[in-house]
Amino acid sequence: MRVSYRWLKDYVDIKASPEELAQKLTMTGFEVEKIERPGEKYKNFVTGIVLETRKHPNADKLTLCKVDVGSQTLNIVCGAPNVSPGQAVAVGLVGAQVPRNQHDPAGAPFVLSQVKIRGEESFGMICSAYELDLGDDRDGIMILPKGTATGTTLSDYLGLSDTILEIGITPNRPDAMSHIGIAREVGAIYNKKVKIPKLKLRESKRPAAKFGAIKILDSGLCPRYTARLVYGVTIGPSPKWLQEYLTSIGVRPVNNVVDVTNFVLMEMGHPLHAFDYDKLNEGMIVVKPAKDGEEFTTLDHKLRRLTSSTLMICDAKGPVAIAGVMGGAFTEISDTTKNILIESAYFNPQSIRRTSKRLGLSTEASQRFERGADLHATQWAADRAAQLIQEITGGEILKGVIDVFPGKKKSITVPLRPEKANEVLGTGLSGKQIQSLLRKINITKAAGRSKSGSSNVLYAIPSYRVDLLQEIDLVEEVARMYGYDSIETNNDTRISFSSHAPAKDTVSELKDWLIGSGYSEVVSNSMQEKEFSRLGSEEAVEIANPISKDMATLRTSLIVSMVQVIRNNILYGKKNLRLFEVGKIYRRDKTGASVVPGYREENRLTMAMVGLRRKASWDVSPQVIDIYDLKGELQTLFRKIFLDNIKFIPYSNTKALTSMGFDVEINGIDVGYAGIVRKDFRAKFDIDEEIVIAELNVDLLLQNSSLKKTFKPLPKYPSVTRDIAFKINENITADQLKNEIAGAAGPMLVQIDLFDIYRGDQVKAGEKSLAFALEFMSEDHTLRQDEVDRIMKEVISRVSRNLSGTLRE
Amino acid sequence: MEERISHIRTEALTELQPVASAADLDNFRIKYLSRSGVIAGLFEDMKSAAPESRPALGKAINELRAAVQGLFDEKKNALESSARPTTAPLDLTLPGRERWVGSKHPITQTLDEIKRLFTAMGFSLAEGPEIEDDEHNFEALNFPPDHPARDMQDTFFIAENILLRTHTSPVQIRVMESQKPPVRVIVPGRVYRNEAISARSYCLFHQVEGLYVDKGVTFSELKGTLLSFAKQFYGSSIKYRFRPSFFPFTEPSAEMDITCFLCNGKGCRVCKQTGWLEILGCGMVHPNVFRHVSYDPEVYTGYAFGMGIERIAMLRFGIDDIRILYDNDIRFLHQF
Repeated sequence: MRVSYRWLKDYVDIKASPEELAQKLTMTGFEVEKIERPGEKYKNFVTGIVLETRKHPNADKLTLCKVDVGSQTLNIVCGAPNVSPGQAVAVGLVGAQVPRNQHDPAGAPFVLSQVKIRGEESFGMICSAYELDLGDDRDGIMILPKGTATGTTLSDYLGLSDTILEIGITPNRPDAMSHIGIAREVGAIYNKKVKIPKLKLRESKRPAAKFGAIKILDSGLCPRYTARLVYGVTIGPSPKWLQEYLTSIGVRPVNNVVDVTNFVLMEMGHPLHAFDYDKLNEGMIVVKPAKDGEEFTTLDHKLRRLTSSTLMICDAKGPVAIAGVMGGAFTEISDTTKNILIESAYFNPQSIRRTSKRLGLSTEASQRFERGADLHATQWAADRAAQLIQEITGGEILKGVIDVFPGKKKSITVPLRPEKANEVLGTGLSGKQIQSLLRKINITKAAGRSKSGSSNVLYAIPSYRVDLLQEIDLVEEVARMYGYDSIETNNDTRISFSSHAPAKDTVSELKDWLIGSGYSEVVSNSMQEKEFSRLGSEEAVEIANPISKDMATLRTSLIVSMVQVIRNNILYGKKNLRLFEVGKIYRRDKTGASVVPGYREENRLTMAMVGLRRKASWDVSPQVIDIYDLKGELQTLFRKIFLDNIKFIPYSNTKALTSMGFDVEINGIDVGYAGIVRKDFRAKFDIDEEIVIAELNVDLLLQNSSLKKTFKPLPKYPSVTRDIAFKINENITADQLKNEIAGAAGPMLVQIDLFDIYRGDQVKAGEKSLAFALEFMSEDHTLRQDEVDRIMKEVISRVSRNLSGTLRE
Repeated sequence: MEERISHIRTEALTELQPVASAADLDNFRIKYLSRSGVIAGLFEDMKSAAPESRPALGKAINELRAAVQGLFDEKKNALESSARPTTAPLDLTLPGRERWVGSKHPITQTLDEIKRLFTAMGFSLAEGPEIEDDEHNFEALNFPPDHPARDMQDTFFIAENILLRTHTSPVQIRVMESQKPPVRVIVPGRVYRNEAISARSYCLFHQVEGLYVDKGVTFSELKGTLLSFAKQFYGSSIKYRFRPSFFPFTEPSAEMDITCFLCNGKGCRVCKQTGWLEILGCGMVHPNVFRHVSYDPEVYTGYAFGMGIERIAMLRFGIDDIRILYDNDIRFLHQF
């Protein structure tokens, strides 16, 4: 909210500068986000009178002027065609920064200096409206009204010498959404009394009640409706002071009646509305819900469709305003308005919020009503407005206020135990101290004590403090008034040591390993286009109110966003990439086993490789990565996290996102897959490069990883390694041969590794040669050569028998 | 027999002399030194010699083998060193063979550091779902339905009463629902806000939430804990302030500012000329929150705090546009 420093001073004595005040307000919970001085830019500009002019001796279009600027008379060279003696003008003094340069195409500001123009000294500049950023006229100097005092600074002349504080008001403090509201806080800070304007109403003899009738059909939604009638007003522009007050805080002046209602709103916070009384059928106000589908034109001349949950202000025939949100176009104050009804009501906050949300219409009024207005301020606000309208427009205030108040409430008291305040805050405040802190913000001891505990003091809460309902609310007020900074910063703390083992942060270990292996971590958006999330699962979760179509669902796989990341990097010429992401995927769930029923989240790891296997080097020929690189990385990773019983099962069909890869099973459980990103999918992103990618369920990986480590004694006897190569048919897989060898070799075989594949002259067409290194060991003796020879013989005969493989000598 | 031994010695020497290639050398090795080679043959033959002469013969054959092996090794070394071109000297200014280098995302780095500090202070880790229900995200945290406080957090909805969590605070509720005090946890996680994407805000970000509930936990202690964190994280010379604020689930609520470490509190663009940087929100757990999870607010008090990781990472690394964090440009990632 914009708060005028000058306006604030009408209600409380402030000696502090705006900066100091801002600091104090911030420290009591009213964060001053910005301090603005709109007049700042007119520093060094003054009003002046042109005394005499004569032609410049050396230039046809220039005039030499003598200008009285109050303290002195200046010689100024002026290029405007319309300058003449006797004019009141705005003068920029030497050193002034002119907001806009009309000789510069971009209108950039410039600083005035004392210059010689064609041999004549000039000590300033007479400005055009354009140059002052006050209008678009650049054809001549701006001429001020006759009789303008000379030597006034331009900011004063324009009424811009005020300072504006931009204050962030938290949603719990509707009472502070006005100048008096802020003044109350300022009064509390500086121990100053707040001066509330005195009301002096001059009412006529005609009783208002005889003319206006008010009916509330739903007292839950409208607990109070107060109105004043003012007859015979003259609509016109507001006086200068009022216009200046409003414009200073960004409220556009409309006409004197509307301006007064806005002024009172900004002064004391209660929203008002003025109706053209003669346009209200039968002079009646009826507060009731709209009919479903009913249409209504608001002040901003927009047609609004209503529902039965919209509370309306109606006259005898139909709606005239959306209660608490916006008035109607038909009954608004116009130039011909004579008699007015001032509405000052209280509406149910939830109802106003629902209406404002549904209509997408948030106004100064709705913002205050939905946060909670002051139920007991309606009459004061109506009276204040009536008085000001009478002062400004003339007119007759009818006798008496019409006040329908079905929702009367008892004033609120809240108990507070000093020991509770100290227990929460860690302070040692006495009951007396607490009382005097609360007194600063008009919270005083109420008569009586609450039943429980003798130290329990009851406090009377001012009706505008709708946020104070229970003890803890008062504790906060005590802390605020005492000062958060005055509460000791206690570095001692008790720790109750945990009695269960903390979950191991295995994901961090996993990440560290990947980073050490040359992968860079990616963090990507979990919202994506439906077209993409459907590729991962049919059960994609859709967002009801997405920002845009390309973020309408939650991802079902990390592969899509990874491919997008790769595309962006390739666009910048980065074509050798090793990336990983650990993140969540989301799916609708029918198992009922999830934390939030119906939705499942899973932690996934995706690893991707693009480009060269090794960094290009002077003696390494470039080799492009392939699926075996990734398989090797996975094998290494699994070994690192002690996973065994792993199966890589090649899939023959392509998947939605990949092809030519394998599924990964651990202990018989499917944990993910790897492959090459499908060409047609890459094509969507114009990627030519092949992407090798894997996606694994991290939760399952970690569940199956044997984290419990038990030491096994090291073997006492050395191992023996033998190499062997077989020629076999191309259709036999490496795994088939390996399993055959392992089966034949028996328990002495501790390790078997494929180290060579050969195809060519030395084997028949349709055959290949696979070479394995076999490591043998016994747990109870050193193996003899003849034992190993026997095993190798068995291996050779089994491979020959079962796979028709022949030994390659 | 002795004669043969001496003959073989001469023959081997003669044969080895002209060997100039690795292949020839290997043939030499197979002929003389392999398991089926000439010298191995001598040992076989020795078995048929007279038993009393065997020790002497064995010694002689062993000497022969050692000698031939020695000459062979010498030759082998000579061949290998001459294989290296002697005309090209070593150029150690040539680059070494590097491996690809990986990097940890700045969000993770920042989070890891925050986790490290709080776990050292006795906090344990907790997590919760990102797709949340209205009850945990709002109601249990003392945001009544149709309350303007909900506007502080623009929400993505999935279905009736199901939404993307707008903060990590619902995990406070889940933790308290599942365990009795004392509770001392930090909760890292991803949260969502339905706001226009700009240099200053993204549709999602990461938070770390902290919660401590026990008997006798005070606001004073909250200040001490967070000051200790801030000094360890931002430097021991920072100044700090706690100012009143509003969160429905804490009361009293506060925001913690520290002196801007970019300008040392003098005022700059990043701190909007105030000299202060807002680093976190915090407060004492609201009794209504305790009531919701059936903790007795007359017995227990507690504090909670929360901070945005992106904001901290941006301040720490001098990043001025939040969106670059999610672009994952490798030229960016490799800077960390």
